[in-house]
Amino acid sequence: SSVLTLLSEKVTQMMEWASKRSVIRMNGDKFRRFVKAPPRNYSVLIMFTALQPQRQCGVCRQADEEFQVLANSWRYSSAFTNKVFFASVDFDEGSDVFQMLNMNSAPTFLHFPSKGKPRKSDTYELQVRGFAAEQLARWVADRTDVQIRIIRPPNYAGPLLLGFLLAAIGGLAYLRRHNLEFLFNKSVWAFSALCFVLIMTSGQMWNHIRGPPYAHKNPSTGQVSYIHGSSQAQFVAETHIVLLFNAAVTMGMVLLCEAATSDMDIGKRKIMCVAGIGLVMLFFSWLLSIFRAKYHGYPYR
Amino acid sequence: MKSSPNKGVLLQYWLSGALGGWGGTSDGKHKASTNAGGSVHGNSRPGAAGGGGGKVGLSGGLTQPAGWQSLLSFSILFLACLAGFSSRLFAVIRFESIIHEFDPWFNYRSTHHLTTNGFYEFLNWFDERAWYPLGRIVGGTVYPGLMVTAGLIHYVLNLLHITVHIRDVCVFLAPVFSGLTAISTFLLTRELWNQGAGLLAACFIAIVPGYISRSVAGSFDNEGIAIFALQFTYYLWVKSVKTGSVFWTIGCCLSYFYMVSAWGGYVFIINLIPLHVFVLLLMQRYSRRVYIAYSTFYIVGLVLSMQIPFVGFQPIRTSEHMAAAGVFALLQAYAFLQYLKDRLTRQEFQTLFFLGVSLAAGMVFLTVIYLTYTGLYVRLLTCYAKIHIPIIASVSEHQPTTWVSFFFDLHILVCTFPAGLWFCIKNINDERVFVALYAISAVYFAGVMVRLMLTLTPVVCMLSAVAFSSVFEHYMGDDTKREKPPEKAEEGLGPNIKSIVTMLMLMLLMMFAVHCTWVTSNAYSSPSVVLASYNHDGTRNILDDFREAYYWLRQNTDEHARVMSWWDYGYQIAGMANRTTLVDNNTWNNSHIALVGKAMSSNESAAYQIMRSLDVDYVLIIFGGVIGYSGDDINKFLWMVRIAEGEHPKDIRESDYFTPQGEFRVDKAGSPTLLNCLMYKMSYYRFGEMQVRRGALTPPGFDRTRNAEIGNKDIKFKHLEEAFTSEHWLVRIYKVKKLDNREPLDHKLRSVVPKQKYTSKKVPLMLGGEFALQVWRDSFRFS
Repeated sequence: SSVLTLLSEKVTQMMEWASKRSVIRMNGDKFRRFVKAPPRNYSVLIMFTALQPQRQCGVCRQADEEFQVLANSWRYSSAFTNKVFFASVDFDEGSDVFQMLNMNSAPTFLHFPSKGKPRKSDTYELQVRGFAAEQLARWVADRTDVQIRIIRPPNYAGPLLLGFLLAAIGGLAYLRRHNLEFLFNKSVWAFSALCFVLIMTSGQMWNHIRGPPYAHKNPSTGQVSYIHGSSQAQFVAETHIVLLFNAAVTMGMVLLCEAATSDMDIGKRKIMCVAGIGLVMLFFSWLLSIFRAKYHGYPYR
Repeated sequence: MKSSPNKGVLLQYWLSGALGGWGGTSDGKHKASTNAGGSVHGNSRPGAAGGGGGKVGLSGGLTQPAGWQSLLSFSILFLACLAGFSSRLFAVIRFESIIHEFDPWFNYRSTHHLTTNGFYEFLNWFDERAWYPLGRIVGGTVYPGLMVTAGLIHYVLNLLHITVHIRDVCVFLAPVFSGLTAISTFLLTRELWNQGAGLLAACFIAIVPGYISRSVAGSFDNEGIAIFALQFTYYLWVKSVKTGSVFWTIGCCLSYFYMVSAWGGYVFIINLIPLHVFVLLLMQRYSRRVYIAYSTFYIVGLVLSMQIPFVGFQPIRTSEHMAAAGVFALLQAYAFLQYLKDRLTRQEFQTLFFLGVSLAAGMVFLTVIYLTYTGLYVRLLTCYAKIHIPIIASVSEHQPTTWVSFFFDLHILVCTFPAGLWFCIKNINDERVFVALYAISAVYFAGVMVRLMLTLTPVVCMLSAVAFSSVFEHYMGDDTKREKPPEKAEEGLGPNIKSIVTMLMLMLLMMFAVHCTWVTSNAYSSPSVVLASYNHDGTRNILDDFREAYYWLRQNTDEHARVMSWWDYGYQIAGMANRTTLVDNNTWNNSHIALVGKAMSSNESAAYQIMRSLDVDYVLIIFGGVIGYSGDDINKFLWMVRIAEGEHPKDIRESDYFTPQGEFRVDKAGSPTLLNCLMYKMSYYRFGEMQVRRGALTPPGFDRTRNAEIGNKDIKFKHLEEAFTSEHWLVRIYKVKKLDNREPLDHKLRSVVPKQKYTSKKVPLMLGGEFALQVWRDSFRFS
């Protein structure tokens, strides 16, 4: 019976902590008492991490966010019970725990089952599965038979920004309501259409969906490469360069036409013309050489 | 041409704005000759044919500029069609007249069914040889335009006693339609800009890789004829907005009907045309012509489009079509207001106006919101790109587009078409609003998904043609311009600059033509049913393993035998081997595919239970380890696991197939689950005894695709036996043994049936889709 009282005491304590924070912060003592010590009928999922700023662990912070999402989804779901708890141990608060478990990397996710010892599959394969909350939830479902539906806090920034932008435009239009000629200015429209087209043709949508790095820094030599070596992928910097080149060629074509049709004096027009053809040829050949570098086996220069 | 004596007449013609046409002439010839030469001889010599077209023009109508002009246009257009047709023949010349890839095999099979059994039989066709044991209602789940077109051509030719096989009609349909596309692009661009730009656009579209990729000879697919229908519908639409005549609009509706019958991409038209009308209203360019054109188009087009069984009632139900209905209502309201405006006093009208406008605005707003949140946006951004439903994500065409793809498919056009857009917007009119909207929407869709590059290509050709044509218009024919008005001699930029600019521009276009030929020849002309490999001395080996294996199936198995394979090969097995398949490229039933994936990724005894329950007689797999073909089933295997895991998460786990370090390895270090699963065993059965590269230092059982010595060389089968392996081991077929052949069992075990329930989870129907073997294309070398 003393075991039972101890157990109920522990569960009550855990529930109390969990009601305050969905991820219970633990140090060495708490860990030993509530996770390691025997009478226990609940599973604990622990993230071992190093969140102190001096540790400079960027991955830990991202993993922590996902873990919080997971824990909150569990904490505020209707199926919330005292079967599963989420906890975290920071290296700077419980380094003895790290030593005890013989662990030398963070973040690590471990599952301590309610019965028996942790097995191999109770260590989450971070390298393979990544730390997305959905993946973690699948792992949890696998280990504890508790299904957690991930509910991410909605991101209000996007719609808010859009609303703000629309309000700003509307306000501007209202302020300038006696002078709305700019709406009929073809150059403005043409320019914005061109911007959109150039953004799309330089592969910004790919960047948006895939989220590649801005550029790649070779860790051994320290050399920064802006162009991705394969034709299947690209860096953000690279798309900016391509956007610029495309824009330059377009501008060259427009200049060529302007030079022939405008009514400026002949010297200026000649300069425009030469500049136009120069832009077209220079930037197009440049673009071609980048393409050649990426697309192996392309025979033309 | 420049030394022509009759300059006065020529001058008038030139100054009337058709000079771009002259520009079009010379480089139309360049491209035509380049491609015709390139396709036949395999090496391209730009500009080989000197001045053939020009001479024709000169001899014809020096006294009649109009006749001269039309003769010239006609010959350029003809040459463009010819160039387009011949540059699509690489595959036919290198290999033979054969249907390519995967989806075309299905189209071919149904066309064959159509020509042998008649149209109504085709519409009612229930295909019991696909998706065993479910079957597939073919007539109601295809866009029949392609099959009917090919069948009709076949019928007419046979009526004229030109007896061709339906296969040849199918193979050459797409190249023929590319010629028609060139003509309709010419017509459309002529309406938008001028004749010269039209000719240039026709030359561009004839050879641009972005379009060739879907229309080489043998690629008998919906897109091949749909782009023609798209361009022709747009031409007729622009024509009807310009004239406001019901005649053109009815033509437009008929063309739209053809488009609906041909390709699911008709949704693009039914959204773009209303958008055009809406923007015209916003720009206060409303006119009676627009009213007549759109009202007629919407009603007649709607009724016609609902005649296609596969489309049915979608046009009045789904959100993709709601924009058209909304704009129709808005247009009626607007026209009604205009009418009232003439009848009522100012005061009355203003009250009514505000009421009407607020109502209409609210309605349009709601429509747009509804559309954005349920339809296009969700479909294109969230579903295809972000949520990785494995079966959709596994198709390489559904990926977003990198800038390299843009450049690869469009070359110079991708940098110059914004200039054309600029000119169009600067000199705006009703139809240029249309082309600007076309460009902006198409470029967005092309950015989201690689396969939609196809809809972007025509507009890019048109706008680039506008840009080039406006440059040529000002920089060509300088001599004459300066001679005519001596008092304005200062106006010109000088002949030197002009000729330099012209030369450089022509050079760019020449580079474009060379690029197009190279891309067509190297990237888009492999049938993928027949593989070619090149030796060091440049000689070619043909690997005909696929057809060898399919023919073996056709000849040596029971007529009703059921063949299990991964879904990529379903259409080919049905088309070439004429055997029943379990899953195919029409991936409409995810749970069925997952079941096949589960069988492939389970161990032999578990797989045997699944295969028994599905009545499988043979299993067909693709194995590239002997020749280094990277598009084989082991490389696709993880997708099978993922799809299976999606439906059976308790039995299949992706992580089981990785090493503890998270690697996918087939050698000794690989995970034991992988080394004992059915797919692995079938791929590497008896491979461990094989010395692949003689003389080299590789051990037996060395997989050339994955560059590893396999980890499980001692493979024994209990329930399967090897039935056939093709010459280069590319296709391996196994026979599933009947129960009688098993070891003696007591009756208790016999009653064991698979206990798990196969839950089904519906995934939205995908529009066709095949595995592009791009990886292979880049890396495959045979030495």
